[in-house]
Formats: sequence, structure tokens, C-alpha cells
Amino acid sequence: MEILLQQTVNAFALGGTYALLALGLAIVFSIMGLINFAHGELMTIGGYVLMYCGLAGLPFALTVGLAILSTTLAAMLMERIAFRPVRNASGATMLITSFAVSMILQVLFQNFISVRSQPVLLPQLLSDSVRVGGFIIGVNKLLAIAATVVMLVFLDWFMKHQKTGIAMRAAAEDFAVARLMGIRANSVIAGAFALSGLLAGVAAVLWVSQRASVDPLMGFTPVLKAFIAAILGGLGSLRGAVAGGFALGFIEIYLAAFLPAAWQEFRDPIGLGIVVGVLLLRPNGLIPAASLKAQKV
Amino acid sequence: MKRLLSTTALIAMATATTASAETLRIGLATAQTGGLAPYDAPVIEGVHIAVDEINATGGIGGTTPIELVERDVRSDPAQTSIAAQELVDDGVSVLVLPCDADPALAAIGIVAAAQVPAISTCASSPTLPLIGGDYMFANFPGDNVQATVSAEWAWGEGMKTGYILYSPDTQYTTMPLYFAEVFEKLGGQMLGEDTYSIGQQDFSAITTRIAALSPQPDVVMTSAYEPDFPSFLKALRAAGVTSQVIGSDGIDSPTTFSLGDAAEGVVFSTAGHATPGSPLEAFNAKYEEVMGHPTETVFNAVGYDLIKVIEAAALAAGSTEPQALRDAIADLENVQGATSMITYKGTDGMPVRQVSLIRVKGGERELVGQPSPTADLVPAARMQ
Repeated sequence: MEILLQQTVNAFALGGTYALLALGLAIVFSIMGLINFAHGELMTIGGYVLMYCGLAGLPFALTVGLAILSTTLAAMLMERIAFRPVRNASGATMLITSFAVSMILQVLFQNFISVRSQPVLLPQLLSDSVRVGGFIIGVNKLLAIAATVVMLVFLDWFMKHQKTGIAMRAAAEDFAVARLMGIRANSVIAGAFALSGLLAGVAAVLWVSQRASVDPLMGFTPVLKAFIAAILGGLGSLRGAVAGGFALGFIEIYLAAFLPAAWQEFRDPIGLGIVVGVLLLRPNGLIPAASLKAQKV
Repeated sequence: MKRLLSTTALIAMATATTASAETLRIGLATAQTGGLAPYDAPVIEGVHIAVDEINATGGIGGTTPIELVERDVRSDPAQTSIAAQELVDDGVSVLVLPCDADPALAAIGIVAAAQVPAISTCASSPTLPLIGGDYMFANFPGDNVQATVSAEWAWGEGMKTGYILYSPDTQYTTMPLYFAEVFEKLGGQMLGEDTYSIGQQDFSAITTRIAALSPQPDVVMTSAYEPDFPSFLKALRAAGVTSQVIGSDGIDSPTTFSLGDAAEGVVFSTAGHATPGSPLEAFNAKYEEVMGHPTETVFNAVGYDLIKVIEAAALAAGSTEPQALRDAIADLENVQGATSMITYKGTDGMPVRQVSLIRVKGGERELVGQPSPTADLVPAARMQ
């Protein structure tokens, strides 16, 4: 029983990180129809900012702020430089563009920073753990859960009560009509990228605080997980992305925790098998986007 | 045919009269970008330092300068095979292949057909020369040798129970299986094992399971490397496990030494240690002088070793002809490299080299020892 609860805490922490990642992809997809595979490189940028600020000896709180700011700006730059010119092109063009951005950034990191992993100095507190009742919970797990809750509450408020947020929801439902109502396409799309950059920044801090290093290719795994989570939840749906992220986190942790030892080697295929199974039952994902319903199924 | 004959005659004449006209051409088909770049790039830095040093004295034996022909294979097996073919067609005498056994083996057909000796920069799987055949050589202490050294050390320290974490994804990450084999042969008991995928990121489920074991294992061994190793180690310590952790050369990296309390006391096996007055210390000083910053990894020195091996083989063969070089490499004994003495004689292509055990202490490296493994205990190479 105690193990089950302990593993559930682990699942919440991992699922929360996946949820933030999937949200970052979903926000951009809901408005532009673009799956931004360079989302992972935003995290890498955040990681390098953490590394350089750590080397410069800045206080950790300031470092985190700068890392999140840098990913937000980088996301907006990415939109301005790479995605605006192909905004009206086909989905495939945009997808390939995002792959290109991702690869170009990786090679730039390799050539101008280092091909090798660079250590990120983290406060000792993040490696510690606290005892709550009979459990031992890592501080970085608690932070991951707290950060997820804060970000979800913030996003909910932003989307419901902020003008830009409401405009983004309108654009996600029907971009053409939203524009006819006087919503500026440029600002909505830039806003979506900024938000996705913000989420990438928070996710980057959580991700890097676990691995304590940053390397040029580190963005690949998180973006892959985010993609799976976003599809599982329902591509383009923000609530779906959160549900998909948590579902993926729970699947991964529970399989790693409770699968018999002989089966552990096949953990990943089994996990993906479950995802496929869910999609067979719910082809549009757990919580499909409203706009998708008219087009498919 | 007549033309070929006369060309051959010309070459023979040239070599006979002016040996200085001869150069040893080495083809580098290594990963300068992509997932293997963290290992291949530092090795090639060391290669350049050694080549410049040798050429500054007029070349090998003062007469045969080395020419490097470089290709980036982008950590891709298919690209490795293409680059190897190009370099062979270009007439290189020796090929240098990427660090991992899998891309290195992608070039094996070309290497064998062209009968050009090939050396992997730092692949450590003992299966590499077994699969690769007579023309494939490694340049690193084998996984089975490293695991034997670690297991004998753990047993000698009085550790009786063990736990391993390995990944079936690559040959290298299965090193803990060798460790378990040796540890049990010595009389130790394995309490369990876990697998992970490379790049897994979250190890909390596994570490929670280890923390729930009662009694706790005396030693936890893994050959996970960055980013997996720091994630695993931090999660393990955060879960409250205080067992001795043993790693391997993949974690010989600045990150391991910057993890603070989590990494304190971790022991790992690697290719060398810069004891005062050692060749490695001299190499590290030279590296800093040439590159302007201190070396971050032993893989720089491993690259230097690689050229020293080729130099010794060329001197022994007295020729730059590939077949003669291959035979000379296979017969090399006690070549002084930067990290260790290197011997190929009597092996199948996996060199005999010293293994150093390092302990992380206060964010610095501390030499535990440079023991020789008991030959009978070293497990046979495991084919995956």
C-alpha cells in the first residue's frame, strides 16, 4: 500500500511535467495546426541559460526566472523567423520547418557551446528529500507537482479572463471567424508561441533539475513524450493535453513499478501499446478538441 | 597492366630512395555531430594533438608524416559505412571508426573487403572485434574487464549483496550483466536487477523499488551514463538508498563531479588517472597548452593513445601498407600511451589496458586503485 502511494506521487510528478510539455505543443497546434518539434530545443535553450547563470553564480531563483524568460523570447523569435513565412503553407511544410529549426539549433549548440554534456549547478535542496508520514518524497518531485498546479491554474485564469487568452480560444475554434471579429492574427499567434515558450521554460527547469546536465540533443525525448501525450489527450485540446500528460506519466510509472521483472524489458512497447489501445477506443483522444469533431470521425 | 606495373615500380622506387616522400594516411570516419559526438569529438582532439606532435618531429620515425582525412558520420551507421567506403577508395592505410560498437560494425563489410585495419575510437564492447573480425580493433578497456575490476573491488571491500541497473539498448549499457556474473562467481548475491531505456529521464519507480528492498543491497552497479546516470543517482539518493554505487567510464564527466552530496563516494572504472609524474598528467598539461583550457575528459587522452598505437605499428611494420599495419597492430606489446600501456598481442583485438578505479570525493577525483583483474574471472564476451 505504501509503495502504491509512493509510486502515485512519482506518477503525479512525472505526469505533471509531461502535462506542461504537452500543453506547450497543444497551444500552438490549436491555433496554427503546427506540431512544433522544435519545442524540445526551447527546453535546451532554457537548460543552457540555467547552466550559464549557475556558472556566473547568480541566485537560483533569479536563474529560473531568466531561463523561463529566455525560452519565452526564443519561442517568439522562432515564430517570427521560421514559422511566420510558412504560416499559410500546408501542415506538412510547417512540420518539416519545425524539424529544420530543431536540427539547426542542435547543430548550433554542438558547434558553438559543446558537443559534450555540460553540468548544471543546482542547489543542494533539490537533491534532498522530505519525510511525510511514512514516505520519502524528493524535493524536486514536490516542486514538479507544485509547478504543474500553479501553471495549470494560471493558464485556466489566462484563457478565461484575459483578453489575449479569450482571443486565443476564439482563434483555436475558428481562426477565420475570429479574424473577422477583429482579432489580429499576428498577436494571437505570437501570444500562443510565448505561452508555449513559457511552458517549455518551466518544464525545462523541472527536467534539468532531475538530470543535472544539459546537452545539445536533450530536447528530443521530452518533445517525443509531449507529442505522445498530446495525441493521447486529443490533439489541439488543452484539457486533453493535461489529461494525456498525466495518463502517460501514470502508465510509465505504474508499468515500471508493477510489471513483473521478466517483462520490464518490454515496458516501453507495452506502454505505447496501452496508448494505442486507448486511441482505438477514443480515436480523437481522451478529451478531443471541439474544432476537430466537425472534421473527423 | 603495363601502366599499373610501372606505377608500382615508381612507388617502390620512391619508397626505396626517399622515405620522406611517404606519408601515412589515416581516414577518420567519426561522429563529430549527433549522439556519439560527446565521445568522438574529444577523442579526435587527442588524435590531432598526437599527430601534430609526431609531424613536428618529421613524422613517424622522423620520416613518415601522418595525414588525416576526416569525415563526419553524424552518429549514423549508414553514413559510417558510406564514409568508410569513400576513405578506403581514397587509399587510406588505417581507418578510425566511431565510438560505439554498432556504427563501427556498420563499416565492417568494407573494412574486411578492403583489408584495411580499423580502430574504433572508444567502443568498449568485447564483442566488437569478435564480430568485426581480423581487421577490427578496439582502443579501450573491455566492458568485461572493467566489470571484473569493479566486482573484485566491491567484494574485497566486504560487499556481499548487489543490485544492477542495465539497458538492453546498446552493448555498452549491458556491462552490469558482466558485473553480476563476476560478483556471483566471487560468492556475492544479486538481490535483483532492473532495466531502463537510454534517455529515460525518470527513475523514481525503479529507485522506489530498490528503497523498498530489505535488507538494502551493499552495492548498486550500473553503466548508465549521462543524462541517465545523474537522474538515476539523484533519484536513488532522494529515495533514501545509501548503498555504494559503482559506475563505469561513461560517467567520467564533469557532471558527475558537480552533483554534490548525491555523487559523494561513487566509484567508477575508467581508462586512466593522472597520478603525479604519469604520462596522463603530461598529456593533460600538453592539452591545456594546445587548447587553452583544461581537459574535461579522459577521452582526449584516449585519442592520443590511438595515434600512439598506429605510430608503433607503422614503426614495427616499417611500411604504410594496410596489411602490414594490421599484422603489426595485432602483434603490438606494451605501447606507452597517455593513459596506460597498451598490448594487442595475444588478444582478439580487444587491447589489454590498465583500468583505473576512481572515487568521487568532495567533487574531486580520488584514485582508488589501478588493479589488474584476475584473468580467470573475466567473463567471455556476451553476444546480444
